[in-house]
Amino acid sequence: MNHATRADKFLLDADRTTWHDETLWFVREKRDRAVYAVPEFQELRQLASDIKDHTLSRLDLYLQEFEAAAQANGVHVHWAADAAEHNAIILDIIQKQGATRIVKSKSMLTEECHLNPYLIKHGIEVVDTDLGERIIQFRDEPPSHIVLPAIHLKKEDVGETFHTHLGTEKGESDPQRLTEAARQHLRGKFIAGQVAISGVNFAIAETGGVVVCTNEGNADLGVNLAAVHIACMGIEKIIPRLTDLGVFTRLLARSATGQPVTTYTSHFTKPVAGKEMHIVIVDNGRTQQLGRPDFRASLKCIRCGACMNTCPVYRRSGGHSYDFTVPGPIGAILSPNIDMKKHASLPFASTLCGSCTDVCPVKIDIHTQLYKWRQVLGEANEIPASKKWSMKFMGRVLASTRVYGLGGQFARKALRLLPHGLTHATSVNAWAVARELPEAPKQSFREWYAKQPQPAAQPAQPKIPA
Amino acid sequence: MSTASRDRILAATKANKPAELPLPTVPDFGGEATAERFAAVLAGIGGTVVRMNGLGELVSTLQQLFPEARTTASPLFAASVPINAQTPTGILAAIDLTVLQGEIGVAENGAVWLPEANMMNRALPTITQHLALVLDHRRIVATMHQAYAQLPNTGGYGKFVAGPSKTADIEQSLVIGAHGARSLVVVLY
Repeated sequence: MNHATRADKFLLDADRTTWHDETLWFVREKRDRAVYAVPEFQELRQLASDIKDHTLSRLDLYLQEFEAAAQANGVHVHWAADAAEHNAIILDIIQKQGATRIVKSKSMLTEECHLNPYLIKHGIEVVDTDLGERIIQFRDEPPSHIVLPAIHLKKEDVGETFHTHLGTEKGESDPQRLTEAARQHLRGKFIAGQVAISGVNFAIAETGGVVVCTNEGNADLGVNLAAVHIACMGIEKIIPRLTDLGVFTRLLARSATGQPVTTYTSHFTKPVAGKEMHIVIVDNGRTQQLGRPDFRASLKCIRCGACMNTCPVYRRSGGHSYDFTVPGPIGAILSPNIDMKKHASLPFASTLCGSCTDVCPVKIDIHTQLYKWRQVLGEANEIPASKKWSMKFMGRVLASTRVYGLGGQFARKALRLLPHGLTHATSVNAWAVARELPEAPKQSFREWYAKQPQPAAQPAQPKIPA
Repeated sequence: MSTASRDRILAATKANKPAELPLPTVPDFGGEATAERFAAVLAGIGGTVVRMNGLGELVSTLQQLFPEARTTASPLFAASVPINAQTPTGILAAIDLTVLQGEIGVAENGAVWLPEANMMNRALPTITQHLALVLDHRRIVATMHQAYAQLPNTGGYGKFVAGPSKTADIEQSLVIGAHGARSLVVVLY
């Protein structure tokens, strides 16, 4: 199944698609208002981009600086080459504690590594504590957005889910009352939690500390009540200095949801006496992406989701149509690095309009990379035969003035003469699935131009000496 | 833990990284460091600013704001529940109102820096039902750049708190009071 087929499923419910489209655009508009209120916003984007570029260019050194500083803080640092190793390290820490009850705050990395099913298989209870993540965990669904994991659901869906799992009244769909029910339910889980797992927004090489940004406070509550904190991060989360956070905290929430900053910007640096803190640093394909000059800039991503909110394709196809941990434009340039065959259709799920690049707070050239992935996929023969051959054919036609002229004449005639059922047969003409072709003109511009009276010859211009 | 993975990751990073690029200097950018701006922005994100003339008015100010708070925790006045780093979770979970000293206020986003040293217990500022942060109005800066420039370090744990805990995970409807404090008041003096 490719992106378009999965999007078809999402599009079956037209009202819901429209709601999804408009809701995400509303978030994009909130982003704009927050951004325009900061006169130096464009300078901040450039600084963020430059800091990330610099960090990637010294990443091995910064990773070692971070490790040394974290260890000096009494933090255990682990390294995982891939998802399997990441999961095994975490299970080992949990089992050494004799723990069975885990509370987790948002981490796209643990989604990427499929940590939850792995832990559950080993008899561990894992509770996602971000409200959106808890909702989809009850429903056994993946997140459809990296910042708004349950954006594909309506409040009635959540009401139904909570009725089943939390015993709220049937038909209850008031967000205030549903959130209160989740608060009460999750307070119990927080208090019982033995080990807390969190993601990492920023890891500071200078201090060895990690920063976690949330609005709900679930990371702070989980981590500070549990005996052990495990923070999971990809190697690209490093920033050099504490003061660099001035730049990133000003960009992140404004770009993500249009807030001036997240409610909590929490710095976890040392464990409290008698407790443990672990940091798991994960590669899982990232060093490979670092080695691709055309695509390494994707590692600068700070996971704000702005590219999703603005993308005309994402808004109308839903996050699940990407079938990858990170959906949307940024996911479409990260996913082929992980599995080119499986995700071959994602770089084509774009109009290349460039809106993603325009809103990216760290100036990743997302739409250029989408275009470049298409070339790589073409070279690797990972595009469907119909697309491959029609592209080759059109390449030939467009490369020759004569063939193009003849082709145009033929097409204009054929469109006028052939029956509609044939020219619009969706089996051969995907364009016509939801569109009408324009009426074919009798004449092309070139044919018209050739028949116009020739303009009078211009008098020779005097030569200007060099 | 596998040192083999550590070595492999570091070697691959070294081999694959681009040629070195410079680390930029971040300018200050100036901005409006006023209590008025701070209060307006905090109100916009669901928090409240209350002013008093000095710390002497703290108890009466709090009594007016939270007449129903039965269990209180604070190092700033004679609160009803004594708290330290070892206080059991059950006691923390029953606190109605916590009052702590904030260190730096950020006018552009309504955030207040709260270091571990001022928290009594790391879990307290989020597990409490309501949170009040007391802040000297002279400690308000314009931006996050200026706030970080003033931090000597981030200690073992510390956080910027900007308003009450909130979520919009159900249909983008804003709900105040997700998991952390249901309300946040900054008491400026």
